Parts: sequence; C-alpha cells; structure tokens
Amino acid sequence: MKRTAKLTAGVSATAMILASVAPAFAGELNLLTWEGYADDSFVKPFEEATGCKVSATYVGSSDDFAPKLAAGGGVFDLISPPSDSTAPLIAAGFVEPIDTSRIDRWNEIYDQFRSGESINVDGKVYGVPYAWGAIAFMYRPDKFDTPPTSLAALWDPALEGRISLWDDKSAIYVAARHNGNMNIYNLTDEQIAAAQTSLVDQKPLVRKYWSTAGELVDLYKSGEVWISNTWAGYQSALLADEGIEVVEFIPEENAEGWMDSFMMVAGTPNAECAYQFLNMAISEQGQCGVANVNGYSVTNPVAARNCMSEEQFTALHQDDPEYLNSLLLWENLGDRLQTYTNAWNAVKSQ
Amino acid sequence: MTLGTRIRTGLVLSPPLLWTIVFMFVPYTILLVYSFWRAQFPLFVPDFQLGNYRTLITDPQYLNVLLRTLKIAGLVSISAVILAYPYAYFLVFKVRRPGVRLALYMAVVAPLWVSYLLRAYTWKTILGTQGILNSFLISTGVLDEPSSVFLYNHTAMVLTLTYVFIPFMVMPIYAALEKIPPSLIEASRDLGEGAFATFRKVTLPLSLTGVIAGFTMTFCLSFGDFIAPFLVGGPDGAMVANVIASQFGAALNWPLGSALALVMLVLVLGIISVSDRFERLGHGRLE
Repeated sequence: MKRTAKLTAGVSATAMILASVAPAFAGELNLLTWEGYADDSFVKPFEEATGCKVSATYVGSSDDFAPKLAAGGGVFDLISPPSDSTAPLIAAGFVEPIDTSRIDRWNEIYDQFRSGESINVDGKVYGVPYAWGAIAFMYRPDKFDTPPTSLAALWDPALEGRISLWDDKSAIYVAARHNGNMNIYNLTDEQIAAAQTSLVDQKPLVRKYWSTAGELVDLYKSGEVWISNTWAGYQSALLADEGIEVVEFIPEENAEGWMDSFMMVAGTPNAECAYQFLNMAISEQGQCGVANVNGYSVTNPVAARNCMSEEQFTALHQDDPEYLNSLLLWENLGDRLQTYTNAWNAVKSQ
Repeated sequence: MTLGTRIRTGLVLSPPLLWTIVFMFVPYTILLVYSFWRAQFPLFVPDFQLGNYRTLITDPQYLNVLLRTLKIAGLVSISAVILAYPYAYFLVFKVRRPGVRLALYMAVVAPLWVSYLLRAYTWKTILGTQGILNSFLISTGVLDEPSSVFLYNHTAMVLTLTYVFIPFMVMPIYAALEKIPPSLIEASRDLGEGAFATFRKVTLPLSLTGVIAGFTMTFCLSFGDFIAPFLVGGPDGAMVANVIASQFGAALNWPLGSALALVMLVLVLGIISVSDRFERLGHGRLE
C-alpha cells in the first residue's frame, strides 16, 4: 500500500515536471503534408508572428493520408491531400468542414478550385485550395537525339532500364492514356485491366518506381534514369541545383493536373492555430512560399500577382486559365478508388 | 504449494506474462478479428467472412509475391551458410590466438551496431550505375561502360540481405563449433580417419544444430524484410512485407492486410517448428 502511494506520488511529480516543460508556444500545429509545404522560409515567420509551433510529417504518395488518419491517435491538425484522394477522408469523417467566413481571402481563390467537387460535399466546404500543377514528364536532353513527345517513349524498348514511374495509382492514369483511354477518372473495369496489362508489359523496361521527390532526384543524379514522370517544377529545379539538366514536357497524350487543399482533421484541438495557418497559406507569404520552394503554381492569383515577378507569374501559368483547363485535373474517384489502387498493387506484385 | 509461494510465483511470472498478453496475444487477436472484416468504401466494416483468405488464394498476385519471398529468403539463407560456415570453422579451428579470433569475430558482429538502413543504403552506392563496383570494373578494364545489372534486381536484394543478416548465421555456428570437444576430433584422427572424413562424421554433425539455428533465423528475418526491396529491389522486387504494408497503407484494406499477415505468421511459425524438430533430431548424434 505504502509502495503504491510512493509510486503514485512519483508518477504525478514526473507528470508535473513534463507539463511545466512543455508549451513555450501559444499553440501547436501538426501537419501531414508534402515536402516543401512546411518550409522554414515561410513557416518560421508564421511561428514568430502567431506563436503557433508547426511540426510536419511528410508523405510520399497521395494514398498516405487516409491510412495515417485511419490509424488514429489524434496526432495531426492539418493535412494537404490532393483532389483525387479527398473522398474517403470526407466520407470517413476524418476531416471537418471549414468555416470559410474565417478565411479572409477565400474569394480570391480560383473559382474552379473553390467550388470543385473534391472539397465540396453536401453544401459544406472541406478544404482550402493551396497549390496546383501538372504531373508532367521529364527527360535528360543529353541522352535523347530527338526529344520525346509521347508517352510511347515510356514503353520504348530502346530505353530499357532507363525509365522510372511514380509509385502511385496515377500510373494507371498514365497507362490508360497510353492505351488511348482519355477518360482516366471514369475507367471501366476492362480499361483498368488493360492499363494494368500495359504496366506489366512495361515492367522489364522500368529501372525503379520512385516514391519520394528525393528518390527521383537521386535516380537522375546517379545516372540510373533518363525519363520519368515528375511533379512539374519541383524535381527539375532540385536537379538544376545539382547541375543536371532535365527538360519537362507535356506529352501528346496530355498530362494530369493536381490540386492540393489544406483540410482540418476532425476534432483538432488546435483550430485557432489551424485557421491562422490557413489564412497565411493563401496569403502572399504562403503562396509565394510554396511557389519559390516547390515551383508549383498557386491557387490565389491575387496574392501571386502581388508577390511574384512578371516572369515567375507567367512561368507558373498564373495568367493563363487555359493551361489549367487543358490539364486532366485529378478528380474524386469516390468508391472506385480501391479498384485503381488494387490494380496498381497488382502490377507491383506481379 | 502454499498460498505464499503461489503468490510469489505469480508476482515473478506476471510481468513477462502481462507483457506477452498485452504486446503479443492481444495484437494478434485483433489481427485475427480484422482478417474476417470486409473492405467497404471509405474504410472497412466488421463482418465474419472468409473473403480475404479467398482473395489471397484466388488472386495470383499474392501467391506470386509469396513464392518470390520464399525464393529470396531461401537464397539469402543458403548464401549465408556458404559464407558463414567456413568463416566460423576457420575462427574456431585455425586461428590460434584468442585476440585475433575475437577481432575477426567482432568484424562480423560489429556491423549489427550500425543502423540497418544505413548498411542497406551503402549497397546502393556500391552497386549503382555510377557506383564503386562499376568504377572499379571500368578502371581495371573489365568493363568498357558502366553496367546497370548490379542494382535494382533480385541479386542486389539477396546480396544486401545476406550481408545484413550474416551475423545471425555466424554466431550460432561459431557457438556450436566452439562447443565440440577437441578430444572427439583427436579420437577420430587417432582411429585413422582423414581430415575430410573427420569433418563429415564428427564436426559437421555436431555443428548442425548451429547451422539449423542460423538458417532459421536468417530465413525468417529475410522473409519478413521490406527495406531491401524498397532500396535495392527493382520494379519486380516487392516481397510479402511490402504487400502487407501497402494493404495497410495505400490500398486502405486492413482486413486483407491482416489476413496476409496471419498467413505469413503461420508460415514462419511452421518453419520454426520444423527447424526445432530437426535441431532436436540432430542434437549430439554421431554416425
């Protein structure tokens, strides 16, 4: 009995010490997001201005968000899934509606994104659009006599062992377009099976499926890979820093477009800090932050106009809604999601 | 047994028992329960059905991965035995100075203190197209241009896993060989058997328990590995653990992942009990 009492006293003393050490910040924010979306260049000033301490965990694939939340634990406050992966998050109740009246510059965001079905369900808004871009393709110009213009290059036996593809269900989108099925977000079971077959046929030519930005950069840097898909603007810039020249291109079969939104995890105790972060994210600070770090286009053209040079504004297609419309913007796959991911998993285990 | 001793025994046993229940029994039970559930958008729902196990049998991708994993784990264990046995034999019977023996033994065991990830990563820089091996082969004139055959395939995986897990082979074989009384070997020689016959009839049978223990450990460790396929495996390198990870991750199909994990657990337990039987059969028996 005595011993138990002592133990209890010891435990509570430890707890008190821990509690007194913990928060020097007004609040904290845990982000589950992409590399670059919590870069010090704009997050440090945010922390100083608001007293909200930001820590980030990075994902490698669009499919990493739902499983991490499904595992529970209440760790994350904000997540930034792309437009094709939001459906299960909303349907499973992992994210909560956002009060857009608390987002000061909400109306400046491209209407297409604000009203898009990926974040609007039953009249409620579940996300704040943050950045967008193309899943372009890129190659090493020193290895090609004639620049590739078609997805056929990714199935070219002459390039055996020099091809890489993103380890993501988007591989199905690529293969479907290669097969001439342009309705990549509404594929029938037969079309998905055909895409799966094409990817299996392609396997002997593939050096490695890449899963993080850093891995793809390494593959180009070490001379393993000459052609692949890429998060347009990001890896090519990282490679340029390493002195390796790559050229991005949109193939004849077109490219997908993606859009990431920040979503609030249901029941987050840090909603105050979260709203402050969301407001920062679509202001000049966050928009030019991600444009400068990742080379992505942004969702608030007004902010972009204010903080980008004319050159950057044009290069990121901020002045050109036609470019955005020409891309095959990722759509909500709904309950077809599993069929797509299953086909991609089958390719990998073959 | 009096009440007092019973309580005392209970107290001594309860922490490990509690540990086993909380960290082994409960998780595996949860896994078993999950394996009967059903994936349904957006997540999965409780159910009692064998659909997940049926999928594992009927969809060829799972059998494919399982066979590949068995092949890789088998190759790793065999190459580890081939390398580890002569090395341990050399250490025990040929190295006379204890200091040298210890140093050579530690040379194998010490890498265990370095992060597995780091050691696997090192192989990437050795085997890559612009890696150390290619540079060496080009500078010695063996190759004209860098070859890409060393990395991102099954061979690279077997090589990396063999390197990573070989200490688990050397240690038990070394221990088994060290325990053989020199008098037995001397007796065999005195009775007119040659060096090879002595090895075959005395040393090898007596060290077989070590080989089996090492083989089992190496096999089970590489069977469950998922880092090597990720780092040095190619597009066709996925092993069972990778598929389980992707079912719990990207595919968001925990019920199927649980079923696969249980199948894997049963296989590993089967291997361990078979090797246990072999070990007991071979224990201390000479021809």
